[in-house]
Amino acid sequence: MKQVGAVLRDYLVLVMILGLALLTAIVQPKFISPANLVNIMRQFGPLILVSLGMTFVIIGGFIDLSVAGTINLVAVVTISLIGPLGQTGALVTGLVLGSVCGAINAVLILTAGAITQAEALFITFGMSTFYSSIALIYTGGSTYHFWDLKKSPDMFLAIGSGSIGVLSVSFVIFLVALAILWVFHTKTAAGRAISLTGGNKTAARLAGVPVSRSIVLIYTIAGFMAALGAIVLFSRITTAAPVIGAGFETNAILSVVVGGTTLKGGKGSVLRTVMGVLLVILLNNTLDLLGVSSYMQWAARGAILVFAIWLDNRKEVQGNQL
Amino acid sequence: MDATGSEYILSIKDVTKSFPGVKALGGVSIDVKRGMVHGVVGENGAGKSTLMKILSGVYKKDTGTIIFDGQTIEHTTPHESMLRGLAIIYQELNLVNSMSVGENIFLGRFKEMKGMHGTHTKARALLDSIGCKVSTTKLVSELSVSNKQMVEIAKALSFQSKLIIMDEPSTSLTSEEMALLVKIIHQLKDQGISIIYISHKLDEIFDFCDIVTVMRDGKVIDTKPKTEFTRDELITKMVGRTIENEYPERPRNPGENLMEVKGLNTRKLHDIQFHLRRGEILGLVGLVGAGRTEIVRAIFGADKVHGHQVTIRGKAVTIRNPKDAKDAGLGLIPEDRKLQGLVLPFSVEHNISMASIDRFTRFGFVRRSLEKGIGARQVQSLKIKTPNTKIAIKNLSGGNQQKCIVGRWLEIGPSIFIMDEPTKGIDVGAKYEIYVLMKEIAEKGGAVILISSELPEVLHMSNRVLTISDGRITGEFDPEHESADTIMRAALGLGGAS
Repeated sequence: MKQVGAVLRDYLVLVMILGLALLTAIVQPKFISPANLVNIMRQFGPLILVSLGMTFVIIGGFIDLSVAGTINLVAVVTISLIGPLGQTGALVTGLVLGSVCGAINAVLILTAGAITQAEALFITFGMSTFYSSIALIYTGGSTYHFWDLKKSPDMFLAIGSGSIGVLSVSFVIFLVALAILWVFHTKTAAGRAISLTGGNKTAARLAGVPVSRSIVLIYTIAGFMAALGAIVLFSRITTAAPVIGAGFETNAILSVVVGGTTLKGGKGSVLRTVMGVLLVILLNNTLDLLGVSSYMQWAARGAILVFAIWLDNRKEVQGNQL
Repeated sequence: MDATGSEYILSIKDVTKSFPGVKALGGVSIDVKRGMVHGVVGENGAGKSTLMKILSGVYKKDTGTIIFDGQTIEHTTPHESMLRGLAIIYQELNLVNSMSVGENIFLGRFKEMKGMHGTHTKARALLDSIGCKVSTTKLVSELSVSNKQMVEIAKALSFQSKLIIMDEPSTSLTSEEMALLVKIIHQLKDQGISIIYISHKLDEIFDFCDIVTVMRDGKVIDTKPKTEFTRDELITKMVGRTIENEYPERPRNPGENLMEVKGLNTRKLHDIQFHLRRGEILGLVGLVGAGRTEIVRAIFGADKVHGHQVTIRGKAVTIRNPKDAKDAGLGLIPEDRKLQGLVLPFSVEHNISMASIDRFTRFGFVRRSLEKGIGARQVQSLKIKTPNTKIAIKNLSGGNQQKCIVGRWLEIGPSIFIMDEPTKGIDVGAKYEIYVLMKEIAEKGGAVILISSELPEVLHMSNRVLTISDGRITGEFDPEHESADTIMRAALGLGGAS
């Protein structure tokens, strides 16, 4: 009886995804139309990339609100550099810029001696505003479009809407990123150091585990993945405004937590995050198809976040016995 | 034999409790007489804490009956237990640090107290009744452990408790504070309040308990009046085997200098200078807060300290962080096992392999087969009691957790082992095993720095003892030839070691 409960808790998200998909397919057959499935796959693109990066920050025991600002900055800078640097140059610069933004967060957190999630929350919130403001200053508040470019950016267009076989390019990017990050987290010493840091920073440090390096690493990964997400995002909509990333930080945190990675740090998985993102996106899609207003959708999202944290804490209570 | 309401305040019958994979309690029966101090002893993992948590309502029992003050208790919550008159004072005290003493005593009952004035007046009366002079408006965070306990006791009294359970209350107390606690226990007893006193320290059990229950492996081994127990019998019953001595022989024949420390100054430490020889155990003695822990943390690179010189085997080394210390051949068993030593949600194996991760990493990748070997080897060689190495370490008893931390360092074989309160909160059997490990480390050519608040432990195990008082080294002694009294005087900074 107890065992069944434990298993159910572990796979609750999966059960919810399947249940939700099934229910929607019955109520609204449009759900399984190819057009809608492609739509889901495309929506999945940017959010999952950002969320995969966020997973590392949360496993490491911290949190990153700066990804929204990073996305804003990387999107406008990258698109503006396609002309002067060419597509590859712009892509690489964008990814480096995102990583640097992440590393700056980490250095600030270390310098400030911030050891709690709450401190990191405020520092990265400040940095999000900072990066967004640079993006606004850089663009003067205007929006960049692909059609303003002299030459059509075919590589970015492919990233945004191309496909390889039945899979969209952005989905392939996701699969590659997932595979690399999963191997990194579960198979490497650096990945282990991140988990231990999240599990107990003090104990990890006293055992000679490189805690500071882990903190730099998690934020750099989050920055890089936010940049990748930004690139996939503006490539799909062929436009980059300096506010393009708004809401991504909360959706990413939501997805990670709903997936079952604990906000307490230490335990979690990128695979869980995939499920979390799926659930969040499916929920949006379902509510869209059912014609629920977007105001109500926000309420639903808030409710599942609270639910996910409640579930997480219940797990803790059960696990703490003995 | 009948547990009538008149004779027994608490009657526990055949209580069982299982957790996934472990039977924590296998049919426990204890009767606690009214107005008695009932000692409960047993190794960590014997089931004492589980039983107490069932009594207070933190856990639910699987089977069995509990009768408290004539009432059968089925399911309860900690709050209901309190109201019923059963209070528990946990080892890690349950107070709100950011609130005042008075507010803590009457937490959530300000209305009944008719506001803050009533709260503080009544709190004052309660504290006075146990001879505690702490101001009721002081913040709990500013209190010593001893005073926090007094607040907990006052809180228990405020509920008209009939039974107070104290879970290892003496762990962090000085001897004067302990004397005060004993006085209060006698006083409570005179008022007709029953007390269950859980402890590892046999001296305390023999000092003031009336009846003693010995638990082992989730069962009650024996319950009888203290006077019918001998010390040896009690130890034997606790560990389930005969222990010849409480301490092994100290290591013999210390050799040449292994480490020298010079010019260690911080805001708290003043000109610390000492050496450590190969093959010896060096004891640091001092009161809590005298600077013992600060010295070893500074050497280990755990705190940022500049300007001191550390020489190992004649070579100057710079240690800026624990990683440097590890590379220089140092290992540390930190003072606070749960907060500084363990990664609680992680497996036994991952906790053991933490420090030696470089040893089983190739091209950045963890080699799991080697890691499993490390976990299995340490569990076997240190006789760590665990169903398997995959189980989360928080499920192990204190002694076994501590052995995992020792194993973590043994795996990389540091030559200098720093142990800060290595036997705090662990049972007699595991203590002895840790002493033997210390001795082995020293005899294999390493050295141990031992910090402990238990004076007999330091005096029996160390080859040399340094006394620390107020951030200074106040003396160096050979514990084999010096009286404990002289050493303690030096540790208290009472001169005598000019």
